[in-house]
Amino acid sequence: MFNHKMAAFAVLATLATTASADEIEFLCYQDGNECDVIAAMAADFTAATGHTVKTTTVGYEVVRDQLENQLQTGSAPDLARVTNLGGLNQYYHDLTPYVDTAAWEGSYSATLPWMRAPGGEDKGVYGWLTSLTVTGPYVNVTMFEDAGVDLPGDGATWDDWMAALGEVKGALGLDAAMAMDRTAHRWAGPAFSYGAKFFNDAGEPLLVDDGFKSFAETFVGWHKDGLMPADGWPAGSGTQYRNAAPLFLGGQVAMHMSGSWMINNYASNISDFAWSAVPIPCGPGGCGAMPGGAAIVGFESTEHPEAVAAFIDFLAQEENAAKFASETSSIPSHQGLQAKGVDYANASPAVSEALKVFAANAGQSASTTPQAFTFQGYAKNFVIYGVVPDYITQAITGEMSLDDALAAIDADVAAKIAE
Amino acid sequence: MLEDFGAALAASRWPYYLIAYVFVGAIMVRANSVGSWIMGVIGWPIELAQKLAGHGPLPYLFLLPNLLVFGLFTFAPFFINIGFSATEGQSILFEDRAWAGTDNFARLLSDVQPDTGAQNREDDKFTRSVIDTAVFVVFQVPIMVLFALITALVLNRDIVGRGFWRSIFFYPVMLSPVVVGFLWTLVLKRQGVLSLTLMQWGWIDEPIQWLVDPRWTMFWSVFVFTWAHLGFYMLILLAGLQAIPRDLYEAAEMDGTSNWRALTHITIPLLMPTLLVVFVLSLIKAFQAFEELFAMQVSWISVVAYIFETSGLRGTPTTHGLGIAATAALLIAVFLALLSLLQIARSGRGAR
Repeated sequence: MFNHKMAAFAVLATLATTASADEIEFLCYQDGNECDVIAAMAADFTAATGHTVKTTTVGYEVVRDQLENQLQTGSAPDLARVTNLGGLNQYYHDLTPYVDTAAWEGSYSATLPWMRAPGGEDKGVYGWLTSLTVTGPYVNVTMFEDAGVDLPGDGATWDDWMAALGEVKGALGLDAAMAMDRTAHRWAGPAFSYGAKFFNDAGEPLLVDDGFKSFAETFVGWHKDGLMPADGWPAGSGTQYRNAAPLFLGGQVAMHMSGSWMINNYASNISDFAWSAVPIPCGPGGCGAMPGGAAIVGFESTEHPEAVAAFIDFLAQEENAAKFASETSSIPSHQGLQAKGVDYANASPAVSEALKVFAANAGQSASTTPQAFTFQGYAKNFVIYGVVPDYITQAITGEMSLDDALAAIDADVAAKIAE
Repeated sequence: MLEDFGAALAASRWPYYLIAYVFVGAIMVRANSVGSWIMGVIGWPIELAQKLAGHGPLPYLFLLPNLLVFGLFTFAPFFINIGFSATEGQSILFEDRAWAGTDNFARLLSDVQPDTGAQNREDDKFTRSVIDTAVFVVFQVPIMVLFALITALVLNRDIVGRGFWRSIFFYPVMLSPVVVGFLWTLVLKRQGVLSLTLMQWGWIDEPIQWLVDPRWTMFWSVFVFTWAHLGFYMLILLAGLQAIPRDLYEAAEMDGTSNWRALTHITIPLLMPTLLVVFVLSLIKAFQAFEELFAMQVSWISVVAYIFETSGLRGTPTTHGLGIAATAALLIAVFLALLSLLQIARSGRGAR
């Protein structure tokens, strides 16, 4: 059936290209080998359609800091791989007239809304989510073994985990037990578990509720008790992001609250201890993890709207999505593939095991903490990612009381998202 | 080679223009030496302009290139900044930015946030960055001027290896601020050289986060910034010291004046104009402190760091961030301009 569809696609595409063969510019960033894989797939696309794709690979900061200004000044590429999915909505090129929208809705209904304008009116098809990422913890299994502490099992709560981590810390004389990247994107999952809703019934962000407060108290407590390191959150200032991976890689902590995008990094850089991804811990509010991902989107400013649409549609085909997931060891966003499973032929057992854990985390989160998907789809979530660490850090270091910090979070988020 | 020349002639027109230019020059020029003949051939348009217009406008011609560069990279950003502070929105294009009047001043400074009507947080952040920066300046500037003066006085004496010591003290100035930041991070981070050494000596039990610990971060900011910039001000003071006439010291020596008296009654008074320049320059530089501190990830936020972060040009753009940052930048610019005027006024009085 694949070949059949593929052949039909090729014929259609060839028909389309007899009219013109365009060169489209693709701005890409990669955590691992994503751009290389796409560039290789682009060769198949050229063979099928005649359009060529010029891929430029840059650092993530270039996409994050410069792309929007390029879009504002009309000097943007034709398409790009971006993570600020909702935030760039106003610049997107709607693929609806060029693609089979029913097929897209069938395969990507969960992630298409992330790229749409808020309000639910927008039914556009704007891009292909290259992979689904999910937040979740990694643990240093060797440390648990050395300390003689059992890993908490499925359904364990954050309290169970922190108690176990405290034992590991005590037994091995560590400075801290658990590190988290300094952004509310990692913080949100555990906060959901503690019952934070993040949005009111009207879908407006209302961050500070009882669950949020309860987790904030717990989180500050983890720092007071020395379970979380001083060179993690407290070491950052303002809305600054800090990656906690060096602490985990350096053996300073036994757990890193990160996400599925770290799998390949850890697989290739950790050789002196055993690590594994573990199921997302739960709490009274469910088992919360933040979904996310990078998408390839086309821009309205393109002079080759049809070629851009054809390329994105090509990548989103089931067999191509499967190829991409397999070659980059990532979780596909294609729902059919998620159900069927991807054959990670090239991946090591540790990697495919971790991928399974994260895929399960996404499922857990979707069923127990649906606000995670609302938050991911919220166009201004990037603002919240920075504001929360800014004030929670001040509560940790004692510059501000926790109540003041929570009030400040509400006021500052409201000011920063006000139109 | 001739073929290349022929090809160049065939390919474009500029060689013809060049020949015509030199030809006109050769006809016009009257010279009595080879050197001035060559200069005349090259520079005939200037001479022609002088003949036609006199010497009056000539200086402006030479000012023009600098003015263009200065205008493009200093005046244009300044006016763009004023524009951003008076408009609102996330876009960097003025056509997409709505007129805001003084709204950004309210967003930056007032107690009540004008958009939400709730308590404003931005004024606290800005005030805090201003206060922290003021603390930094109050400690950093006098310390640096004092040490630059002492270093200059010592290196002005006839000591062994004077050139070597001068280059040692000047060396950090030549380093990129980012290199300085990373270098000192290696020393001051948790597992850095300083903590480990002190622990080995048994002076401390646990490593100290010199750059993160609120009790230490300001001290090390002042220390590293002084280390990095001391050489520059030392050099200026050294030049000032060497401009003091030697015979004053000789006369003082004949009168049996003590060294201390010579320092306080000859050196310091005659060095005052230079000291003033050093003081004001380092004051302005300290207010603008950013690169080293950013590279070291110190745990306080300077005004420049506040502006940098709030603008959203890096990281997360917020709805009004760019306008608020531009307003803050404008306030700081006005303050620094006042400092500069003060310096000009003071040094002008000294010169008269």
